[in-house]
Amino acid sequence: MDNIQDRLARCFETVFPDLQAADIPKASQETMSAWDSVAAITLVNVLEDEFGFQIDFDRLSELNSFDRIFDYIKSQVQA
Amino acid sequence: MTITEALKILRNAPKDGKAFEVTLACGFTPLHVQTFLAAHLQAMLAERRVVVSTGLYGDLTNTVEKAAERDVRNLAILIEWPDLDGRLSYRASSRWDGNTRSEIVSFVHAALNRLGLAIERASNNAKIAVALPSLPLPPFFHTPGWQLSEAEAQLNDLIGAFGARIAGFGTAVVNAERLSESSGARHDLKSDLLLGLPYTLKHADVIASCIARLLHPMPPKKGIITDLDDTLWSGLVGELGPDGVHWSLERHSGLHGLYQRLLSSLAADGVLVGVASKNSLEPVEAAFRRPDILLAPERVFPMEVHWNAKSTSVDRILKVWNIAADAVVFVDDSAMELSEVAAAHPGIECIQFRGTDYEAGSAMLSRLRDLFGKQRLTTEDSIRLSSIRQSAEFAANTAGSTPELFLERADATIHFDFSKSRNDSRALELVNKTNQFNLNGIRYTESDWEAELRRTDTELAVVTYEDRFGLLGKIAVLLGELNGDNFRCKVWVMSCRAFSRRIEYACLKTCFERYQIRGIEFEFMPTSKNGPLQEFFASLLESGLDVPLILTRERFEQVCPPLYHKVTSTNGLEFDGQHSGSVSTVL
Repeated sequence: MDNIQDRLARCFETVFPDLQAADIPKASQETMSAWDSVAAITLVNVLEDEFGFQIDFDRLSELNSFDRIFDYIKSQVQA
Repeated sequence: MTITEALKILRNAPKDGKAFEVTLACGFTPLHVQTFLAAHLQAMLAERRVVVSTGLYGDLTNTVEKAAERDVRNLAILIEWPDLDGRLSYRASSRWDGNTRSEIVSFVHAALNRLGLAIERASNNAKIAVALPSLPLPPFFHTPGWQLSEAEAQLNDLIGAFGARIAGFGTAVVNAERLSESSGARHDLKSDLLLGLPYTLKHADVIASCIARLLHPMPPKKGIITDLDDTLWSGLVGELGPDGVHWSLERHSGLHGLYQRLLSSLAADGVLVGVASKNSLEPVEAAFRRPDILLAPERVFPMEVHWNAKSTSVDRILKVWNIAADAVVFVDDSAMELSEVAAAHPGIECIQFRGTDYEAGSAMLSRLRDLFGKQRLTTEDSIRLSSIRQSAEFAANTAGSTPELFLERADATIHFDFSKSRNDSRALELVNKTNQFNLNGIRYTESDWEAELRRTDTELAVVTYEDRFGLLGKIAVLLGELNGDNFRCKVWVMSCRAFSRRIEYACLKTCFERYQIRGIEFEFMPTSKNGPLQEFFASLLESGLDVPLILTRERFEQVCPPLYHKVTSTNGLEFDGQHSGSVSTVL
């Protein structure tokens, strides 16, 4: 699971280059102004590149924090 | 390119690089296209900082009209059907009835007229690239999908005529055929309906890549060196004789015929074609005399036909052409010959001709078109080969006589065009292609060059040369500005074909006379390739190559050798016969 966490952190670095590494695990749409709807779509595309599966756009509203995305990816990988 | 790769390219862009600004006009949310376009341009312009900004979503024509009013240098326009009539959007909520189709055709006609006018106005200032509609029309036409309805045909017709119209005034248009080859699925219906992003990621990448290459075209290759046996024709001419080799459909060697036709078309468009073949000369010449040959021998120069190594032949051809290996493609059927040439000439692009592999043959022909393709042809393209032949003749004649006598009898004319014409693509081509006689090696994008020419204080001279051996065409460019008593020269390039004719002295002399200046300051920078210019400066300037590099009028008059050219210009400068370095006339 650490591996997923590292890979997920790299995705966040790619989409949010100004985000400090220490702040990535705490990142959420609520606390980050840069995480707007455009960034959310870009983040989903980058996650698809990294993890190799399609993410339904319907889930965009749920995937609004690092933790939630981590849980989602973990469930997809385990499935 | 994936979206992750694109973002990484953009993240690594130089923060303090000079901005390369692009306005992206499109009627939908441009998120992915914007990212990919910026990334493709950034990958091509590593030292620049690419900035792609967008106009108002939903109003493409308005964005283009605004761009025409502002100082926009690079404009990318993505047209889709909804930009021409909102009812053609998958996201529209309008009703569709019996009259809609004919109404739409007339609406699209009017919308294209308005957009065409806006593009024409914007093209006065900006470099423009346009992608015509690439997504399918919504399925509301009365015919089944495999049948083209009259209304669809009319719409396609309007788009075709529009493409021809805007291409006619210099706008670069994405080739829809290339999109068909590489995009795969283009329309993402779900993403379109849910998010307003109609393109699949792959399509956004491909279309952005095409637009980027139109906004910043890479310099085309200049010459192609081809093998003969089992490449230009099928069979070994030394064994089968000149009548035994073939390139016909009947004998299943049509790929060789196709290759000959491609070479012929490239030669007609100014690409240099040379031959490097291990053979005896006699049967090769006889084969080229066959009436059915599709590549006329007069289009080929030089022909290196002997038994020496191919790399030696390539070396000799490059010397005659006077161009670097990285501007040349070498085609041969033998992998061994290709690697021998590649090892001896780093930078040369080697392509293997696989005579019976039609898929590889098709890919090779497309690759050659891409490597040699240029956005527009110039007069110089049509005279390049004769100019090379002329230079070879000039060199041969110079070798047999004293330079002074030879130059005096050359009947040379130099023409200076000071008109700052922005339609002269040859000037920029020279600036971006010339290495050896290049003041500083600085390359310009088309938009940067246009911006330089638009400045009121910019002075430009485009120099054309002709002598009794023929026309060399436009061979030198000077660009700069007056700075008090001096002329500050920012760009000075001269084609290596024009060396040894004292044209460089005539350029300087004309500068002194035209601008009545005391000196010329050169924005000189040594590069790994501008050795000939460095040698010229070293002979010209007492101070060597220390910056600032300033040539005074007195010093020029001391060192300028006799000049024999007749000099003309667009604004009446003209004098005949011998003229010394002494400069006094007000022009």
